[in-house]
Amino acid sequence: MPRKKPEAFLPLKSNWFHILVSLAGCEQHGYGIMQEVLERSDGKVRLWPATLYGSLKRLIQDGLIAESGARPAPEFDDARRRYYKLTPLGHRVLDLESERLRDLVRILEGKRRQEARS
Amino acid sequence: MNRWLVRCDSVYRRLARTFPHEFRAVCGDGLEQLGADVIPMVWREQGLRGVVRCFTDLGLRLPLEYLEVWAGKFKELNMTDDLFEGTWKANNEGSKWDPNYTPEQACLRFEATDEGYLLVAYGIKDGQAVAERPTPIITDGRRRPVVDLNGRPIQGVPPGAMSFGSQPNSHTIEAGAEADGQVLGKGTYKVSEDGRTLTVTTEGMGLKGPFKVEAVFDRVVPDPYVPQS
Repeated sequence: MPRKKPEAFLPLKSNWFHILVSLAGCEQHGYGIMQEVLERSDGKVRLWPATLYGSLKRLIQDGLIAESGARPAPEFDDARRRYYKLTPLGHRVLDLESERLRDLVRILEGKRRQEARS
Repeated sequence: MNRWLVRCDSVYRRLARTFPHEFRAVCGDGLEQLGADVIPMVWREQGLRGVVRCFTDLGLRLPLEYLEVWAGKFKELNMTDDLFEGTWKANNEGSKWDPNYTPEQACLRFEATDEGYLLVAYGIKDGQAVAERPTPIITDGRRRPVVDLNGRPIQGVPPGAMSFGSQPNSHTIEAGAEADGQVLGKGTYKVSEDGRTLTVTTEGMGLKGPFKVEAVFDRVVPDPYVPQS
């Protein structure tokens, strides 16, 4: 099947980027993603439930994340919840978006340095 | 939890259950559960304002999800005459079956659904009548969890397996399933220009190992499943 190229997802929607960052390195359920984004942004970004699940649905349909079959250790597991993980495409898109943001920051820093010198 | 919050939780769950089937097939009851967790939390942190925002989020998302479903249906209504719908019988002389998967007779039936097709395969193999699990093919190019027609996991299918389908042109459908970036099976269904012949090319991993099939099917006219007047 013709698959969308990773570059075609850029620039990533802010919600999508937050979700993908939450799933980088570990599998998470919806509540875990919401809490992590909230903590990471010092309470500034809250992904409300319907927005979060709307985004999760689109990310699944576009192949960036997938539902994970693996469950954490029983003491950490919540049987009610579905866990999500990044797919290889999701990893690639996250890397590209991070690179894009890094480039933007680099450009801004260069301009600031130039401004300071003049 | 006070009675007012219990009531909010109950209303939230009811509203979450009104989301379209297409949304619930992918997200399950995750939205209901997350709403139930979030309402008491935002009540503690933000009071009534937080609860109102939670419901506003739900209220805004609900019509968007239905709009997406209706847009898909509208697209389908504007499709030209369907070339795939109907029953097809294998022409064994023109087909190259895999030695492990050679049937004496094989039929495919494409039924049009709201989102694409339901593919039913049946036939006779080793003298026994056999039928495969009906497979939904949704040709919008998106990936979806591989579940049965009731949205439940299928025994033997790896966790996280996703199905995909697309229709690059009116005569061709491509569909398959993958797990962890590995293709489990994929097929191309191509109808001839005159609409009488269907060529199916499938490959993947079966119970008896890898398989590759190139089968030719002839349209069954009249369709045995359509009542003739």
